Amino acid sequence: MSAFQNSIGRGYVVSSTYLSIAIVLVIFIVLFISSYDAFSTVGWKIFTLEWNPSKDKFGVLSMIYGTLSVTFIALLIAMPLGVLTAIFISEILPEKFRLYFKSAIELLAGIPSIIYGLIGIAFFSGWVSSLFELATGRTILTAGILLSIMVLPTIITLSEDALHNIPKKYREASKGLGLYPFETITKTLLPIAKNDIIGAILLALGRALGETMAVMLLIGSIDRIPDPFYNFLAPGQTITSKLGREIGESAFGSLHFSALNAIGFLLLLIVITLTIITQFYFKKEDRL
Amino acid sequence: MKKNLWIFCIPFLFIACSNNNKTVINASGSTTVLPVISIAAEQFMKTHPDVKIIVNAGGSGVGINQVGAQQIEIGMISRNITEKEIAQYPNTNFVVIPIGRDAVVPVVSSEIYDAGIKSLSIEQLAKIYRGEIANWKELNGPDKDILVIDKEAARGTRHVFMEIVLDDKEAEAAGADLVLGANNEEQTAIVQSDAALGILSNAWMNKDVKGIAIIMPNGEIIEPTLANIINGKFPIIRDLDLITNGEPTGITKEFIDYILSAEGQKIVEENEYVSISK
Repeated sequence: MSAFQNSIGRGYVVSSTYLSIAIVLVIFIVLFISSYDAFSTVGWKIFTLEWNPSKDKFGVLSMIYGTLSVTFIALLIAMPLGVLTAIFISEILPEKFRLYFKSAIELLAGIPSIIYGLIGIAFFSGWVSSLFELATGRTILTAGILLSIMVLPTIITLSEDALHNIPKKYREASKGLGLYPFETITKTLLPIAKNDIIGAILLALGRALGETMAVMLLIGSIDRIPDPFYNFLAPGQTITSKLGREIGESAFGSLHFSALNAIGFLLLLIVITLTIITQFYFKKEDRL
Repeated sequence: MKKNLWIFCIPFLFIACSNNNKTVINASGSTTVLPVISIAAEQFMKTHPDVKIIVNAGGSGVGINQVGAQQIEIGMISRNITEKEIAQYPNTNFVVIPIGRDAVVPVVSSEIYDAGIKSLSIEQLAKIYRGEIANWKELNGPDKDILVIDKEAARGTRHVFMEIVLDDKEAEAAGADLVLGANNEEQTAIVQSDAALGILSNAWMNKDVKGIAIIMPNGEIIEPTLANIINGKFPIIRDLDLITNGEPTGITKEFIDYILSAEGQKIVEENEYVSISK
Protein backbone atom coordinates (compact mmCIF):
# COMPACT_ATOMS: atom_id res chain seq x y z
CA MET A 1 0.00 0.00 0.00
CA SER A 2 1.71 3.16 -1.12
CA ALA A 3 1.40 6.49 0.65
CA PHE A 4 -0.57 7.77 -2.31
CA GLN A 5 -3.16 5.00 -2.09
CA ASN A 6 -3.33 5.58 1.62
CA SER A 7 -4.20 9.23 1.15
CA ILE A 8 -6.92 8.34 -1.37
CA GLY A 9 -8.43 5.98 1.17
CA ARG A 10 -8.25 8.59 3.86
CA GLY A 11 -9.78 11.25 1.64
CA TYR A 12 -12.64 8.93 0.74
CA VAL A 13 -13.41 8.07 4.35
CA VAL A 14 -13.24 11.68 5.50
CA SER A 15 -15.36 13.02 2.66
CA SER A 16 -18.07 10.41 3.11
CA THR A 17 -18.30 11.32 6.79
CA TYR A 18 -18.61 15.03 6.00
CA LEU A 19 -21.16 14.22 3.29
CA SER A 20 -23.45 12.46 5.78
CA ILE A 21 -23.24 15.39 8.18
CA ALA A 22 -23.84 17.81 5.32
CA ILE A 23 -27.00 15.93 4.30
CA VAL A 24 -28.45 16.34 7.79
CA LEU A 25 -27.60 20.03 7.72
CA VAL A 26 -29.06 20.56 4.25
CA ILE A 27 -32.33 18.85 5.21
CA PHE A 28 -32.51 20.95 8.35
CA ILE A 29 -31.89 24.20 6.48
CA VAL A 30 -34.21 23.42 3.56
CA LEU A 31 -37.01 22.46 5.94
CA PHE A 32 -36.50 25.63 7.92
CA ILE A 33 -36.50 27.88 4.86
CA SER A 34 -39.61 26.32 3.35
CA SER A 35 -41.45 26.37 6.67
CA TYR A 36 -40.48 29.99 7.37
CA ASP A 37 -43.66 31.25 5.64
CA ALA A 38 -45.86 29.26 7.99
CA PHE A 39 -43.95 30.22 11.13
CA SER A 40 -44.03 33.93 10.26
CA THR A 41 -47.72 34.00 9.23
CA VAL A 42 -49.18 31.66 11.79
CA GLY A 43 -46.77 32.48 14.60
CA TRP A 44 -47.51 31.05 18.02
CA LYS A 45 -50.96 30.01 16.83
CA ILE A 46 -49.20 26.96 15.43
CA PHE A 47 -49.50 25.53 18.93
CA THR A 48 -53.28 25.31 18.84
CA LEU A 49 -55.68 22.51 18.03
CA GLU A 50 -57.43 23.62 14.86
CA TRP A 51 -56.11 22.61 11.45
CA ASN A 52 -58.04 23.82 8.42
CA PRO A 53 -55.94 24.81 5.41
CA SER A 54 -58.86 26.48 3.63
CA LYS A 55 -59.22 28.94 6.53
CA ASP A 56 -55.45 29.27 7.07
CA LYS A 57 -55.62 27.63 10.47
CA PHE A 58 -52.61 25.48 11.18
CA GLY A 59 -52.61 24.13 14.72
CA VAL A 60 -50.28 21.22 15.28
CA LEU A 61 -50.81 20.33 18.96
CA SER A 62 -52.91 17.26 18.22
CA MET A 63 -50.25 15.89 15.86
CA ILE A 64 -47.42 16.42 18.34
CA TYR A 65 -49.55 14.74 20.98
CA GLY A 66 -50.25 11.81 18.65
CA THR A 67 -46.61 11.37 17.67
CA LEU A 68 -45.42 11.42 21.27
CA SER A 69 -48.12 9.08 22.57
CA VAL A 70 -47.72 6.54 19.78
CA THR A 71 -43.96 6.52 20.35
CA PHE A 72 -44.47 6.24 24.11
CA ILE A 73 -46.71 3.17 23.73
CA ALA A 74 -44.36 1.58 21.21
CA LEU A 75 -41.30 1.96 23.44
CA LEU A 76 -43.21 0.99 26.58
CA ILE A 77 -43.92 -2.38 24.99
CA ALA A 78 -40.79 -2.86 22.92
CA MET A 79 -38.17 -1.84 25.48
CA PRO A 80 -38.62 -4.57 28.11
CA LEU A 81 -39.55 -7.16 25.49
CA GLY A 82 -36.54 -6.31 23.33
CA VAL A 83 -33.93 -6.17 26.08
CA LEU A 84 -35.18 -9.38 27.70
CA THR A 85 -35.11 -11.19 24.36
CA ALA A 86 -31.58 -9.93 23.80
CA ILE A 87 -30.51 -11.26 27.20
CA PHE A 88 -32.09 -14.60 26.42
CA ILE A 89 -30.41 -14.97 23.04
CA SER A 90 -27.00 -13.83 24.22
CA GLU A 91 -26.77 -15.39 27.68
CA ILE A 92 -29.19 -18.29 28.00
CA LEU A 93 -29.65 -19.75 24.53
CA PRO A 94 -26.93 -22.26 23.53
CA GLU A 95 -24.43 -20.62 21.21
CA LYS A 96 -25.22 -22.87 18.24
CA PHE A 97 -28.83 -21.61 18.00
CA ARG A 98 -27.93 -17.95 18.37
CA LEU A 99 -27.58 -17.12 14.68
CA TYR A 100 -30.84 -18.83 13.73
CA PHE A 101 -32.79 -16.89 16.32
CA LYS A 102 -31.11 -13.63 15.39
CA SER A 103 -31.69 -14.03 11.67
CA ALA A 104 -35.33 -14.85 12.28
CA ILE A 105 -35.76 -11.70 14.32
CA GLU A 106 -33.82 -9.56 11.87
CA LEU A 107 -36.21 -10.72 9.16
CA LEU A 108 -38.88 -8.74 11.03
CA ALA A 109 -36.92 -5.58 10.31
CA GLY A 110 -36.90 -6.37 6.61
CA ILE A 111 -40.67 -6.47 6.22
CA PRO A 112 -41.85 -3.30 4.47
CA SER A 113 -43.96 -1.06 6.66
CA ILE A 114 -46.89 -1.05 4.23
CA ILE A 115 -47.24 -4.78 4.86
CA TYR A 116 -47.42 -4.17 8.60
CA GLY A 117 -50.07 -1.58 7.81
CA LEU A 118 -52.09 -4.00 5.70
CA ILE A 119 -52.00 -6.70 8.36
CA GLY A 120 -52.89 -4.07 10.93
CA ILE A 121 -55.93 -2.91 8.96
CA ALA A 122 -57.08 -6.36 7.92
CA PHE A 123 -56.80 -8.18 11.26
CA PHE A 124 -55.27 -6.26 14.10
CA SER A 125 -57.65 -3.30 14.19
CA GLY A 126 -60.58 -5.72 14.17
CA TRP A 127 -59.18 -7.58 17.18
CA VAL A 128 -58.63 -4.36 19.10
CA SER A 129 -62.14 -3.11 18.40
CA SER A 130 -63.80 -6.35 19.50
CA LEU A 131 -61.52 -6.75 22.53
CA PHE A 132 -62.26 -3.28 23.89
CA GLU A 133 -65.75 -3.07 22.33
CA LEU A 134 -64.91 0.03 20.35
CA ALA A 135 -66.69 1.53 17.38
CA THR A 136 -63.45 1.43 15.43
CA GLY A 137 -60.14 -0.36 15.80
CA ARG A 138 -58.23 2.56 14.30
CA THR A 139 -56.84 4.00 17.49
CA ILE A 140 -53.66 5.42 18.96
CA LEU A 141 -53.18 2.20 20.92
CA THR A 142 -53.46 0.02 17.79
CA ALA A 143 -50.87 2.12 16.00
CA GLY A 144 -48.62 2.07 19.08
CA ILE A 145 -48.73 -1.71 19.44
CA LEU A 146 -48.05 -2.27 15.74
CA LEU A 147 -45.19 0.20 15.94
CA SER A 148 -43.73 -1.67 18.90
CA ILE A 149 -43.52 -4.82 16.76
CA MET A 150 -41.81 -2.82 14.05
CA VAL A 151 -39.10 -1.38 16.33
CA LEU A 152 -38.57 -4.62 18.24
CA PRO A 153 -35.91 -6.10 15.90
CA THR A 154 -33.83 -2.91 16.15
CA ILE A 155 -33.75 -3.11 19.92
CA ILE A 156 -33.18 -6.88 20.06
CA THR A 157 -30.44 -7.19 17.52
CA LEU A 158 -28.40 -4.19 18.71
CA SER A 159 -28.78 -4.99 22.42
CA GLU A 160 -27.85 -8.58 21.72
CA ASP A 161 -24.72 -7.45 19.91
CA ALA A 162 -23.84 -5.25 22.85
CA LEU A 163 -24.19 -8.11 25.32
CA HIS A 164 -22.49 -10.63 23.11
CA ASN A 165 -19.47 -8.37 22.56
CA ILE A 166 -18.63 -8.26 26.27
CA PRO A 167 -15.38 -10.25 26.70
CA LYS A 168 -15.70 -13.64 28.33
CA LYS A 169 -13.40 -12.67 31.20
CA TYR A 170 -16.17 -10.59 32.84
CA ARG A 171 -18.50 -13.56 32.94
CA GLU A 172 -15.75 -15.82 34.23
CA ALA A 173 -14.74 -13.32 36.89
CA SER A 174 -18.27 -12.97 38.21
CA LYS A 175 -18.73 -16.72 38.12
CA GLY A 176 -15.48 -17.04 40.04
CA LEU A 177 -16.84 -14.70 42.68
CA GLY A 178 -19.75 -17.07 43.11
CA LEU A 179 -22.49 -14.97 41.54
CA TYR A 180 -25.60 -16.65 40.20
CA PRO A 181 -26.32 -16.25 36.45
CA PHE A 182 -29.10 -13.79 37.31
CA GLU A 183 -26.65 -11.65 39.27
CA THR A 184 -24.05 -11.91 36.53
CA ILE A 185 -26.57 -10.53 34.04
CA THR A 186 -27.97 -7.73 36.19
CA LYS A 187 -24.85 -6.70 38.12
CA THR A 188 -22.09 -7.27 35.56
CA LEU A 189 -23.27 -7.53 31.98
CA LEU A 190 -26.15 -5.05 31.85
CA PRO A 191 -24.17 -2.16 33.40
CA ILE A 192 -21.37 -2.72 30.89
CA ALA A 193 -23.73 -2.93 27.91
CA LYS A 194 -25.95 -0.12 29.17
CA ASN A 195 -24.74 2.59 26.81
CA ASP A 196 -25.06 0.42 23.74
CA ILE A 197 -28.52 -0.71 24.77
CA ILE A 198 -29.55 2.89 25.16
CA GLY A 199 -28.14 3.56 21.70
CA ALA A 200 -30.34 0.74 20.40
CA ILE A 201 -33.39 2.22 22.06
CA LEU A 202 -32.55 5.63 20.60
CA LEU A 203 -32.45 4.17 17.11
CA ALA A 204 -35.79 2.49 17.76
CA LEU A 205 -37.17 5.80 19.01
CA GLY A 206 -36.09 7.46 15.79
CA ARG A 207 -37.85 4.84 13.73
CA ALA A 208 -41.00 5.03 15.85
CA LEU A 209 -41.16 8.82 15.52
CA GLY A 210 -40.65 8.69 11.78
CA GLU A 211 -42.75 5.69 10.76
CA THR A 212 -45.43 6.77 8.30
CA MET A 213 -47.29 4.20 6.23
CA ALA A 214 -48.37 1.70 8.88
CA VAL A 215 -49.31 4.44 11.33
CA MET A 216 -51.16 6.44 8.70
CA LEU A 217 -53.39 3.49 7.84
CA LEU A 218 -54.11 2.59 11.45
CA ILE A 219 -54.44 5.75 13.48
CA GLY A 220 -57.66 7.20 12.08
CA SER A 221 -56.10 10.49 10.96
CA ILE A 222 -58.28 12.87 12.90
CA ASP A 223 -56.73 16.06 14.31
CA ARG A 224 -57.95 15.70 17.84
CA ILE A 225 -56.59 15.08 21.32
CA PRO A 226 -58.83 12.47 22.96
CA ASP A 227 -60.70 13.29 26.12
CA PRO A 228 -59.26 12.54 28.69
CA PHE A 229 -55.82 12.86 27.13
CA TYR A 230 -54.63 9.41 28.26
CA ASN A 231 -57.48 7.68 26.45
CA PHE A 232 -55.38 5.85 23.89
CA LEU A 233 -58.43 3.94 22.64
CA ALA A 234 -59.45 6.89 20.48
CA PRO A 235 -58.34 7.83 16.96
CA GLY A 236 -55.67 10.48 16.60
CA GLN A 237 -53.11 11.91 14.23
CA THR A 238 -49.33 11.86 14.10
CA ILE A 239 -47.06 14.32 12.34
CA THR A 240 -46.06 11.69 9.80
CA SER A 241 -49.62 10.55 9.07
CA LYS A 242 -50.64 14.17 8.50
CA LEU A 243 -47.74 14.65 6.10
CA GLY A 244 -48.50 11.40 4.32
CA ARG A 245 -52.13 12.28 3.80
CA GLU A 246 -51.84 15.94 2.86
CA ILE A 247 -48.53 16.60 1.14
CA GLY A 248 -49.90 15.53 -2.24
CA GLU A 249 -52.92 17.77 -1.92
CA SER A 250 -51.03 20.93 -1.06
CA ALA A 251 -49.90 23.20 -3.86
CA PHE A 252 -46.15 23.76 -3.98
CA GLY A 253 -45.34 27.17 -2.51
CA SER A 254 -48.69 27.65 -0.77
CA LEU A 255 -49.08 28.40 2.93
CA HIS A 256 -50.49 24.90 3.36
CA PHE A 257 -47.32 23.40 1.87
CA SER A 258 -45.21 25.58 4.11
CA ALA A 259 -47.20 24.53 7.17
CA LEU A 260 -46.63 20.86 6.29
CA ASN A 261 -42.92 21.61 6.05
CA ALA A 262 -43.19 23.29 9.43
CA ILE A 263 -44.55 20.16 11.09
CA GLY A 264 -41.80 18.17 9.41
CA PHE A 265 -39.33 20.64 10.90
CA LEU A 266 -40.91 20.23 14.33
CA LEU A 267 -40.58 16.45 14.03
CA LEU A 268 -36.89 16.84 13.21
CA LEU A 269 -36.49 19.14 16.21
CA ILE A 270 -38.15 16.57 18.48
CA VAL A 271 -35.81 13.83 17.25
CA ILE A 272 -32.73 16.03 17.63
CA THR A 273 -33.69 17.20 21.11
CA LEU A 274 -34.34 13.67 22.35
CA THR A 275 -31.05 12.47 20.88
CA ILE A 276 -29.05 15.28 22.42
CA ILE A 277 -30.66 14.84 25.84
CA THR A 278 -29.93 11.11 25.89
CA GLN A 279 -26.39 11.59 24.61
CA PHE A 280 -25.61 14.13 27.32
CA TYR A 281 -27.27 12.14 30.04
CA PHE A 282 -25.23 9.03 29.41
CA LYS A 283 -22.02 10.70 28.34
CA LYS A 284 -20.21 10.44 31.65
CA GLU A 285 -19.99 6.68 31.65
CA ASP A 286 -17.23 5.44 29.41
CA ARG A 287 -17.91 3.05 26.64
CA LEU A 288 -16.25 -0.32 26.78
CA MET B 1 -13.26 -10.09 -11.81
CA LYS B 2 -13.74 -11.68 -15.23
CA LYS B 3 -16.29 -14.05 -13.81
CA ASN B 4 -18.49 -11.15 -12.79
CA LEU B 5 -18.31 -9.31 -16.08
CA TRP B 6 -21.77 -10.54 -17.05
CA ILE B 7 -23.23 -8.29 -14.34
CA PHE B 8 -22.27 -5.30 -16.46
CA CYS B 9 -24.37 -6.71 -19.28
CA ILE B 10 -27.59 -6.51 -17.23
CA PRO B 11 -28.19 -2.78 -17.82
CA PHE B 12 -27.82 -3.35 -21.55
CA LEU B 13 -30.30 -6.19 -21.31
CA PHE B 14 -32.78 -3.85 -19.65
CA ILE B 15 -32.20 -1.17 -22.25
CA ALA B 16 -32.64 -3.72 -25.02
CA CYS B 17 -35.90 -4.93 -23.55
CA SER B 18 -37.45 -1.53 -22.90
CA ASN B 19 -39.01 0.33 -25.76
CA ASN B 20 -38.02 3.95 -25.52
CA ASN B 21 -40.13 5.03 -28.45
CA LYS B 22 -43.39 4.82 -26.50
CA THR B 23 -45.29 8.02 -25.85
CA VAL B 24 -46.22 8.22 -22.19
CA ILE B 25 -49.37 9.83 -20.84
CA ASN B 26 -49.60 10.30 -17.08
CA ALA B 27 -52.98 10.61 -15.40
CA SER B 28 -53.73 10.91 -11.70
CA GLY B 29 -56.34 12.18 -9.27
CA SER B 30 -59.79 11.18 -8.06
CA THR B 31 -60.28 7.56 -7.04
CA THR B 32 -63.88 7.91 -8.23
CA VAL B 33 -62.83 8.52 -11.83
CA LEU B 34 -59.88 6.12 -11.65
CA PRO B 35 -61.66 2.81 -12.48
CA VAL B 36 -63.09 4.27 -15.71
CA ILE B 37 -59.80 5.73 -16.86
CA SER B 38 -57.71 2.70 -16.06
CA ILE B 39 -60.02 0.38 -18.02
CA ALA B 40 -60.20 2.88 -20.86
CA ALA B 41 -56.40 3.14 -20.83
CA GLU B 42 -56.07 -0.63 -21.12
CA GLN B 43 -58.41 -0.75 -24.11
CA PHE B 44 -56.75 2.27 -25.71
CA MET B 45 -53.28 0.76 -25.35
CA LYS B 46 -54.48 -2.40 -27.13
CA THR B 47 -55.25 -0.42 -30.26
CA HIS B 48 -52.27 1.96 -29.81
CA PRO B 49 -49.27 -0.23 -28.97
CA ASP B 50 -46.90 2.75 -29.15
CA VAL B 51 -48.66 4.58 -26.28
CA LYS B 52 -48.21 3.98 -22.56
CA ILE B 53 -50.78 5.42 -20.16
CA ILE B 54 -49.91 5.47 -16.46
CA VAL B 55 -52.89 5.97 -14.14
CA ASN B 56 -52.41 6.91 -10.48
CA ALA B 57 -54.73 7.63 -7.54
CA GLY B 58 -54.42 10.39 -4.94
CA GLY B 59 -57.68 12.31 -4.95
CA SER B 60 -59.03 15.29 -6.89
CA GLY B 61 -56.73 17.71 -5.06
CA VAL B 62 -53.67 15.76 -6.15
CA GLY B 63 -54.90 15.68 -9.76
CA ILE B 64 -55.37 19.45 -9.81
CA ASN B 65 -52.00 20.14 -8.19
CA GLN B 66 -50.09 17.91 -10.54
CA VAL B 67 -51.74 19.31 -13.67
CA GLY B 68 -51.18 22.79 -12.22
CA ALA B 69 -47.49 22.08 -11.68
CA GLN B 70 -47.47 20.56 -15.17
CA GLN B 71 -46.15 17.23 -13.96
CA ILE B 72 -48.86 15.17 -15.65
CA GLU B 73 -50.94 15.44 -18.82
CA ILE B 74 -54.37 14.45 -17.51
CA GLY B 75 -55.89 15.12 -14.10
CA MET B 76 -58.98 13.21 -12.94
CA ILE B 77 -61.33 15.24 -10.76
CA SER B 78 -64.74 14.68 -9.23
CA ARG B 79 -65.39 18.24 -8.03
CA ASN B 80 -64.97 21.79 -9.30
CA ILE B 81 -61.57 23.44 -9.20
CA THR B 82 -61.62 26.08 -6.44
CA GLU B 83 -60.67 29.70 -7.16
CA LYS B 84 -57.78 29.34 -4.74
CA GLU B 85 -56.39 26.47 -6.79
CA ILE B 86 -56.74 28.42 -10.05
CA ALA B 87 -54.96 31.40 -8.48
CA GLN B 88 -52.20 29.11 -7.24
CA TYR B 89 -51.15 28.20 -10.79
CA PRO B 90 -51.20 31.36 -12.95
CA ASN B 91 -49.18 29.64 -15.68
CA THR B 92 -51.66 26.82 -16.13
CA ASN B 93 -54.80 27.13 -18.19
CA PHE B 94 -57.12 24.48 -16.77
CA VAL B 95 -59.46 22.94 -19.35
CA VAL B 96 -62.22 20.82 -17.86
CA ILE B 97 -63.70 17.96 -19.91
CA PRO B 98 -66.74 16.22 -18.36
CA ILE B 99 -66.79 12.46 -19.04
CA GLY B 100 -69.67 11.26 -16.89
CA ARG B 101 -71.97 11.91 -13.96
CA ASP B 102 -72.16 10.43 -10.50
CA ALA B 103 -73.91 10.85 -7.17
CA VAL B 104 -72.32 11.19 -3.75
CA VAL B 105 -74.30 8.95 -1.46
CA PRO B 106 -74.35 8.73 2.34
CA VAL B 107 -73.59 5.09 3.17
CA VAL B 108 -74.06 3.03 6.31
CA SER B 109 -72.91 -0.38 7.53
CA SER B 110 -75.28 -3.17 6.53
CA GLU B 111 -76.17 -3.76 10.22
CA ILE B 112 -77.57 -0.24 10.46
CA TYR B 113 -79.36 -0.57 7.13
CA ASP B 114 -80.94 -3.85 8.20
CA ALA B 115 -82.00 -2.27 11.51
CA GLY B 116 -84.26 0.03 9.55
CA ILE B 117 -82.26 3.16 8.75
CA LYS B 118 -82.84 3.37 5.01
CA SER B 119 -83.15 7.13 4.57
CA LEU B 120 -81.98 10.35 6.23
CA SER B 121 -82.73 14.00 5.57
CA ILE B 122 -80.06 16.57 4.72
CA GLU B 123 -80.78 18.19 8.09
CA GLN B 124 -80.13 14.92 9.94
CA LEU B 125 -76.92 14.34 8.00
CA ALA B 126 -75.75 17.87 8.84
CA LYS B 127 -76.48 17.28 12.54
CA ILE B 128 -74.50 14.03 12.51
CA TYR B 129 -71.50 15.65 10.83
CA ARG B 130 -71.69 18.65 13.19
CA GLY B 131 -71.69 16.26 16.13
CA GLU B 132 -75.19 17.10 17.35
CA ILE B 133 -76.48 13.56 16.81
CA ALA B 134 -74.06 10.94 18.11
CA ASN B 135 -76.13 7.79 18.52
CA TRP B 136 -78.25 5.83 16.04
CA LYS B 137 -80.93 5.64 18.76
CA GLU B 138 -81.78 9.30 18.13
CA LEU B 139 -82.69 8.33 14.57
CA ASN B 140 -84.80 5.35 15.70
CA GLY B 141 -81.94 2.94 15.07
CA PRO B 142 -80.09 0.59 17.42
CA ASP B 143 -78.39 1.93 20.56
CA LYS B 144 -74.93 2.35 19.06
CA ASP B 145 -72.61 5.34 18.75
CA ILE B 146 -72.39 6.52 15.17
CA LEU B 147 -68.92 6.02 13.72
CA VAL B 148 -68.83 9.14 11.54
CA ILE B 149 -66.31 8.81 8.71
CA ASP B 150 -65.04 12.00 7.13
CA LYS B 151 -62.72 12.34 4.15
CA GLU B 152 -59.45 14.19 3.57
CA ALA B 153 -60.04 17.89 2.97
CA ALA B 154 -59.16 18.07 -0.73
CA ARG B 155 -61.15 14.98 -1.77
CA GLY B 156 -63.80 15.57 -4.43
CA THR B 157 -66.44 13.46 -2.72
CA ARG B 158 -66.11 15.55 0.42
CA HIS B 159 -66.35 18.91 -1.38
CA VAL B 160 -69.54 17.91 -3.19
CA PHE B 161 -71.16 16.40 -0.10
CA MET B 162 -70.25 19.19 2.33
CA GLU B 163 -71.33 21.89 -0.08
CA ILE B 164 -74.88 20.55 0.03
CA VAL B 165 -75.04 19.23 3.58
CA LEU B 166 -73.11 21.89 5.53
CA ASP B 167 -73.35 24.71 2.92
CA ASP B 168 -69.59 25.04 2.72
CA LYS B 169 -67.40 22.70 0.71
CA GLU B 170 -64.54 23.13 3.16
CA ALA B 171 -66.62 23.02 6.33
CA GLU B 172 -65.10 21.45 9.41
CA ALA B 173 -66.94 18.37 10.62
CA ALA B 174 -66.78 18.38 14.41
CA GLY B 175 -68.66 15.09 14.70
CA ALA B 176 -66.20 13.07 12.62
CA ASP B 177 -64.43 10.10 14.21
CA LEU B 178 -62.14 9.05 11.38
CA VAL B 179 -60.64 10.86 8.41
CA LEU B 180 -59.90 8.58 5.48
CA GLY B 181 -58.81 8.99 1.90
CA ALA B 182 -59.61 6.89 -1.12
CA ASN B 183 -63.02 5.34 -1.82
CA ASN B 184 -61.75 1.82 -1.18
CA GLU B 185 -60.12 2.79 2.13
CA GLU B 186 -63.45 4.15 3.32
CA GLN B 187 -65.31 1.13 1.95
CA THR B 188 -63.08 -1.15 4.07
CA ALA B 189 -63.68 0.88 7.22
CA ILE B 190 -67.46 0.76 6.73
CA VAL B 191 -67.42 -3.00 6.14
CA GLN B 192 -65.34 -3.52 9.30
CA SER B 193 -67.67 -1.47 11.48
CA ASP B 194 -71.25 -2.22 12.42
CA ALA B 195 -72.29 1.37 13.11
CA ALA B 196 -70.56 3.50 10.50
CA LEU B 197 -71.81 6.39 8.39
CA GLY B 198 -69.67 7.56 5.51
CA ILE B 199 -69.79 9.26 2.13
CA LEU B 200 -69.02 7.36 -1.05
CA SER B 201 -69.41 7.60 -4.76
CA ASN B 202 -72.49 5.80 -6.10
CA ALA B 203 -70.41 3.12 -7.81
CA TRP B 204 -68.87 1.84 -4.58
CA MET B 205 -71.94 0.33 -2.92
CA ASN B 206 -72.14 -3.42 -2.23
CA LYS B 207 -73.95 -5.82 0.06
CA ASP B 208 -71.96 -4.67 3.12
CA VAL B 209 -71.90 -0.98 2.20
CA LYS B 210 -75.44 0.29 1.76
CA GLY B 211 -76.31 3.61 0.19
CA ILE B 212 -79.28 5.26 1.85
CA ALA B 213 -82.01 7.43 0.35
CA ILE B 214 -82.35 11.12 1.06
CA ILE B 215 -85.54 12.61 2.50
CA MET B 216 -86.27 15.88 0.69
CA PRO B 217 -87.74 18.90 2.56
CA ASN B 218 -91.14 18.13 0.99
CA GLY B 219 -91.05 14.61 2.43
CA GLU B 220 -90.25 12.85 -0.82
CA ILE B 221 -87.73 10.02 -0.43
CA ILE B 222 -85.17 9.87 -3.24
CA GLU B 223 -83.27 6.61 -3.72
CA PRO B 224 -79.70 6.79 -5.08
CA THR B 225 -80.58 5.00 -8.32
CA LEU B 226 -79.16 5.62 -11.77
CA ALA B 227 -82.59 6.83 -12.91
CA ASN B 228 -82.65 9.49 -10.18
CA ILE B 229 -79.16 10.64 -11.12
CA ILE B 230 -80.12 10.90 -14.81
CA ASN B 231 -83.27 12.92 -14.14
CA GLY B 232 -81.40 15.08 -11.63
CA LYS B 233 -83.71 14.33 -8.70
CA PHE B 234 -81.03 13.04 -6.36
CA PRO B 235 -79.73 16.14 -4.55
CA ILE B 236 -75.98 15.36 -4.39
CA ILE B 237 -74.80 14.83 -7.95
CA ARG B 238 -71.64 15.90 -9.70
CA ASP B 239 -69.76 15.71 -12.97
CA LEU B 240 -66.73 13.50 -13.33
CA ASP B 241 -64.11 15.45 -15.25
CA LEU B 242 -60.73 15.20 -16.83
CA ILE B 243 -58.54 18.29 -16.76
CA THR B 244 -55.65 19.27 -18.96
CA ASN B 245 -53.36 22.26 -19.24
CA GLY B 246 -54.73 24.02 -22.31
CA GLU B 247 -56.82 22.26 -24.97
CA PRO B 248 -55.57 18.67 -25.26
CA THR B 249 -53.48 17.91 -28.33
CA GLY B 250 -51.97 14.91 -30.05
CA ILE B 251 -52.22 11.53 -28.39
CA THR B 252 -53.76 13.00 -25.21
CA LYS B 253 -56.61 14.36 -27.30
CA GLU B 254 -57.01 11.01 -29.04
CA PHE B 255 -57.29 9.27 -25.66
CA ILE B 256 -59.85 11.76 -24.32
CA ASP B 257 -61.84 11.50 -27.56
CA TYR B 258 -61.84 7.73 -27.08
CA ILE B 259 -63.36 8.13 -23.59
CA LEU B 260 -66.01 10.46 -25.00
CA SER B 261 -66.81 8.06 -27.85
CA ALA B 262 -69.65 5.53 -27.64
CA GLU B 263 -67.16 2.80 -26.70
CA GLY B 264 -65.59 4.88 -23.94
CA GLN B 265 -68.95 5.91 -22.55
CA LYS B 266 -69.87 2.23 -22.33
CA ILE B 267 -66.96 1.84 -19.90
CA VAL B 268 -68.38 4.75 -17.87
CA GLU B 269 -71.72 2.98 -17.67
CA GLU B 270 -70.19 -0.40 -16.87
CA ASN B 271 -68.67 1.25 -13.79
CA GLU B 272 -72.18 2.31 -12.73
CA TYR B 273 -71.74 5.97 -13.52
CA VAL B 274 -74.02 7.90 -15.84
CA SER B 275 -72.86 8.52 -19.38
CA ILE B 276 -72.35 12.16 -20.32
CA SER B 277 -74.75 11.75 -23.25
CA LYS B 278 -77.76 11.15 -20.97
